[in-house]
Amino acid sequence: MRMTRRAFVQAAAAPMLVAPQQAPPPLVELTIAHLVGRIRAAVGPWREKTIDGFKAGDPSVALSGVAVTVAARLENLRRAASAGCNLVITQEPVFYGANDEPANRASDAVYLAKKAYIDQAKLVVWRFSDHWSTRQPDPRVVAIADALGWKDGPGNDNIYRVPETSLSSLMALVSKRLGLRGGMRTVGPPDLRVRTVLVSPGTTDLASTVARLKGADVVLAGEPREWEVVPYVLDAREAGAAKALISVGRIVSEEPGMRACAAWIRTLAPGLRVEALPVSDPFWNAAS
Amino acid sequence: MTAREIVTRIQQQLASQKINWRAETVDTFKAGDPETPIAGIATTGMATFGVLKRAAKAKRNFVITHEPTFYNHQDQTTALAQDPTYEAKQRFIKENQLVVWRFHDHAHALRPDPLVAGSARALGWTAYASTTEPRIYNVPPTTLGALAADIARRLKGRGIRVAGDPAMKVARVALGPGYGVPPLTATFDVAVGGEASESGGNSEYLADAAASGQPKGVILLGHMLSEDFGMFEVGEWLRGFLPDVPVEWIPAGEPFS
Repeated sequence: MRMTRRAFVQAAAAPMLVAPQQAPPPLVELTIAHLVGRIRAAVGPWREKTIDGFKAGDPSVALSGVAVTVAARLENLRRAASAGCNLVITQEPVFYGANDEPANRASDAVYLAKKAYIDQAKLVVWRFSDHWSTRQPDPRVVAIADALGWKDGPGNDNIYRVPETSLSSLMALVSKRLGLRGGMRTVGPPDLRVRTVLVSPGTTDLASTVARLKGADVVLAGEPREWEVVPYVLDAREAGAAKALISVGRIVSEEPGMRACAAWIRTLAPGLRVEALPVSDPFWNAAS
Repeated sequence: MTAREIVTRIQQQLASQKINWRAETVDTFKAGDPETPIAGIATTGMATFGVLKRAAKAKRNFVITHEPTFYNHQDQTTALAQDPTYEAKQRFIKENQLVVWRFHDHAHALRPDPLVAGSARALGWTAYASTTEPRIYNVPPTTLGALAADIARRLKGRGIRVAGDPAMKVARVALGPGYGVPPLTATFDVAVGGEASESGGNSEYLADAAASGQPKGVILLGHMLSEDFGMFEVGEWLRGFLPDVPVEWIPAGEPFS
């Protein structure tokens, strides 16, 4: 998919958002590989071992626009194509496995349909997870705090001081601002007093939770394992500590961060079409 | 009988069922002194602090747990050494002369897998088990919404999460306990299990299948609502060859309020 002459002129004429000492974007056609090169240069040292990289398509083609999403689901690939974006940047896998290997789904109709769509729409899928989520401060944490209106944090420990509230009021705020349906689950009493919140999106691991929850009343978690952080908080309560956990799910916890990622990519290529494609809470509650 | 003697009896029983003891396994003593004389056994999905308190009160000082005691699969405690929650739990175990032993790998090796059978029984699905396909249950035709509501009612679950169109038709269900939620395929409608990562996997497959016109469903019971019931089955199995030791099921229960 080639960039139209009009889009190209618009891109070239767009106001500069980067620092003045930086060179303006070159007045040649920007390929997908060029943009990804800029992202890699801006994000810091590239790791030798990483899940980040191209997962589908030909990156040497001209870039028409970028769609940024937490999960490159078929629905979002279609939205990207109809918005005129031929590069899809995704945090989570596009082909079902942690390493984007379809494994025993390789001959499955759902996988084949997705692969065929990517080929037919001439999309390129690039995964951006490891490098994005290890920036400091963690952009996923800052984006959640922004969505919740928290300013006092995160410090080195991803803890925010928040206006004093109760666990139930915090749940209502999180539910509303992060757009939860049935994905929220909580350990702790509704009237627990909350002044400090540890924000821990994605896989909420045990080691950092054990180390940091001493300094926070609540851990706002993405995907805590139910044999790790969940029973740890349960046991902490049983041992007499006034702690709580709110789990919102992995996708919901990473969603604000990928919107921030779209905004960051806009600063790297002023004038380029950059769309943030949302993924909503996939869950509803069985009892309601 | 000491805890160690009971474990030896369990190993002998497994051998008689053609299940050899594995060289590498997480099924080991996790806390307490294995030489402690045992007044009774508690079986549970997870030896949470709450379960330990109930076991001590009921004088079931040997706790047989399916999942870890100290918050990680290998029950490594180095990083927890100074942690007040860990210290309080260890102190309680010592003061109450409890012994905690994990029964995970070899429990799943039993046939039928008691963790699957226990969930099926709790869900009322035992009669629906496919005779040819492991973990497949042919339930009376229903919808995802009705199936989920029935499950929530039977298990009294507050935090059971469902993905998929509530109106989709359901007849074939795959059941996998714990973290072993069956991967969705074209061959069944709904996967039911404990917990799963939303990174790719079923979460992505379900969305892509729906977008290409093949509705699928996932019902996540939560880890304990999917394995506590299996440890009831394990308790029944223990009774069969340990007639002199009281065995009680002390479920960890759903952690979420």
